[in-house]
Amino acid sequence: MNVAKLLEKRRKDWNELERFCEAMEVSGKTDKAGPQYRGAQGVMRFSSLYRAACADLALADAYQLPPNTVTYLHRLVARAHNQLYRTESANVASFFNMLIHEAPRRIFSDNCVRVAALIFYGLFALAMFMGMSDKQFPGFAEAVCGTDQLEATSANYSEFDFGRATGTNSVMAGFYIRNNTQIGLQCFALGMLVIPAIFVLAYNAVVLGSVFGYMVRDGVGGTENFLQFVTAHGPLELTAIALSAGAGLRIGMGVFYTEGLDRVDSIRRAGKRAVPIISAAAMMFILAAFTEGFLSPSGAPYIVKVGFGIFSAMLISLYFVVLGFPRTQAVDQSLRRSVRFGELRDEASSAQQAG
Amino acid sequence: MAADQPLDTTIGVVTPENIAFEYQLAGPFRRLPAFVIDVFVVIGINIGLGFLLGLIAFLLTTTVTAILEVLGVGLFIAATLFVAWFYGTLMEAHFNGRTVGKWICGLRVIEIDGRAVTPRSALLRNLVRVADFFPIAFTSVGMEFGALVWLVPLGMLGLPTGMVGLITMMMTRRLQRLGDLAAGTMVVVDERKWQLPVAKVDDPRVPALASFIPADYRVTRRMSRTLATYVERRAFLTPGRRTEVARALADPLGELFEFRKDIDPDLLLYALYYQTFLKDSSAPLPDVGNLSNYSPLARDAHRLNQSPPAVNPPPAVNSPAVPQAVGSPAVVEPAAIPSSRPASSQAGSASSVWESTGKPNTMSQPPTGPSMNREDQP
Repeated sequence: MNVAKLLEKRRKDWNELERFCEAMEVSGKTDKAGPQYRGAQGVMRFSSLYRAACADLALADAYQLPPNTVTYLHRLVARAHNQLYRTESANVASFFNMLIHEAPRRIFSDNCVRVAALIFYGLFALAMFMGMSDKQFPGFAEAVCGTDQLEATSANYSEFDFGRATGTNSVMAGFYIRNNTQIGLQCFALGMLVIPAIFVLAYNAVVLGSVFGYMVRDGVGGTENFLQFVTAHGPLELTAIALSAGAGLRIGMGVFYTEGLDRVDSIRRAGKRAVPIISAAAMMFILAAFTEGFLSPSGAPYIVKVGFGIFSAMLISLYFVVLGFPRTQAVDQSLRRSVRFGELRDEASSAQQAG
Repeated sequence: MAADQPLDTTIGVVTPENIAFEYQLAGPFRRLPAFVIDVFVVIGINIGLGFLLGLIAFLLTTTVTAILEVLGVGLFIAATLFVAWFYGTLMEAHFNGRTVGKWICGLRVIEIDGRAVTPRSALLRNLVRVADFFPIAFTSVGMEFGALVWLVPLGMLGLPTGMVGLITMMMTRRLQRLGDLAAGTMVVVDERKWQLPVAKVDDPRVPALASFIPADYRVTRRMSRTLATYVERRAFLTPGRRTEVARALADPLGELFEFRKDIDPDLLLYALYYQTFLKDSSAPLPDVGNLSNYSPLARDAHRLNQSPPAVNPPPAVNSPAVPQAVGSPAVVEPAAIPSSRPASSQAGSASSVWESTGKPNTMSQPPTGPSMNREDQP
């Protein structure tokens, strides 16, 4: 058992594997390691080298290799492994597949989405009603948003000049869409912590609702412009906020309802379930951004904007209900449990010692 | 089991081929620079987009009226939003778990079972990042820059403290932040170059001493691991420290081998390492040259002590006859030979050959023993 000789013998192969990894890290192809490694030959050589390195690592304990060499082998095998098992690239087809097949079903059947939608739209409608009827609830909108804020918004919309060609409108629209996207993203991300997500969602629902209510109140300037601006993209954007909050809550609920899984695994499963929902929300945000960038600030007649608003609302409903109506049970992706290296190694070594 | 795990930032995974290997995990201080780079990349992309669309709008304004200008701004809004939502996801999904920042910092995202990250996990972990940076101090910071806000990635306005992410990283074994937990991913260090360390033995006393180690002594698995770790590290230790560290193991070993008490502990461990890892069992006994007369065994010392006093004169300080003691200085480092012993008799100096002089400069140039391929050896 001469380790030095053994290492010397194997080192050539390891260096070759290293060269392969280097070449493949750039382009994922074996060509760069040398002209003789083009195509199938390179793949064959790479895989046999990888297997050899794996075997060396597996036998490292039996050979009693020095720890530093073992560490080197771990790195080498890990590196080659990363090249052998590359990410399935995010292709557009599978993304849309998820959006069309998986997302609506999840949204349709997910209780968290229902709760989030109820909170958001419920509070939104309530606040809008309370903000609008100044007689019954005097000073509600003002108390929520502050008089200055409301008056500034009103003044903003009063001066709003549709079809203005300076791009100022779009910049303003951009500010709103960005703000709302941020709210959506926050709701999703904070969903893991449950309470902050519900707070952010409810808070924004109330604020948005009271602004809406205030703006449609009689005797407030800019009502026409405000409605012209919001109608087209409103359904898309508000639904997207509710959806992202629902997706976030789904993950947060995974912490509590583990259904027999390990808590971390339960979070992972909930996360996998939330991905289609949040993807749908992201797409809605982007559609809303398009609308808000083009249609909303443009000089198009009000009827077109209302038409688009109704159309998009219908489209969303169809998407949720028709595509989402439960047909066959959606196949769950099973979780793979990872085995700790120590578990294997210790069992192996204790077995060896026993035997 | 968990108690047996070393307190370390490595994590083991088992591949589909049932190969178990280890990754080195990346902690927050490796990941933060990567993230900062990514923020700047996103800002750069946004500036590029704005410039491109602005240019298109500018070129077309004169001809096709102002509708196109609105088109340009609208496109810009949608495009930045797309970048904000999907930058990390697309990068990680397309470049095998790496964004630009991770590529520069040598990091990679993988699933916790060692497979490459899936697009789905990449999306999840990138969107939950907002929660990891929670709570955000001074939310309004940056708002006064108006349109420039567009250039900054979503959720990064204000001063993100990142407390949530830091705390979850501290509390999870795989240094995962919330996003990693939800997506089932982890970030590992993906080192490009890692030279194979090969330990060599240049000290001629080592094979000589090794030949005195009883042939029936079996090195256990743990012992061999300890020996290798010691020898690979010893180049970075001062002689005094080496003795101190090695003594714990060398003293009982010396007793077991019935060696003299004054053998340098460092040398004994080095010799045992040589015996374990480097010696060819089929090879003939090493040519130990002039050292063959010096036995480290305790019984030989005893025998020498029994020898007539004429052969073994009392010690004389400052004896100049060092070179003769070992015959050829080319074989043994002169510095390793104690000068405080009389050299007139070979028997008298026999013990001293195996001793460490303890002088700090003795091993200041370690005999390139474990050549770690590092240039910064002490």
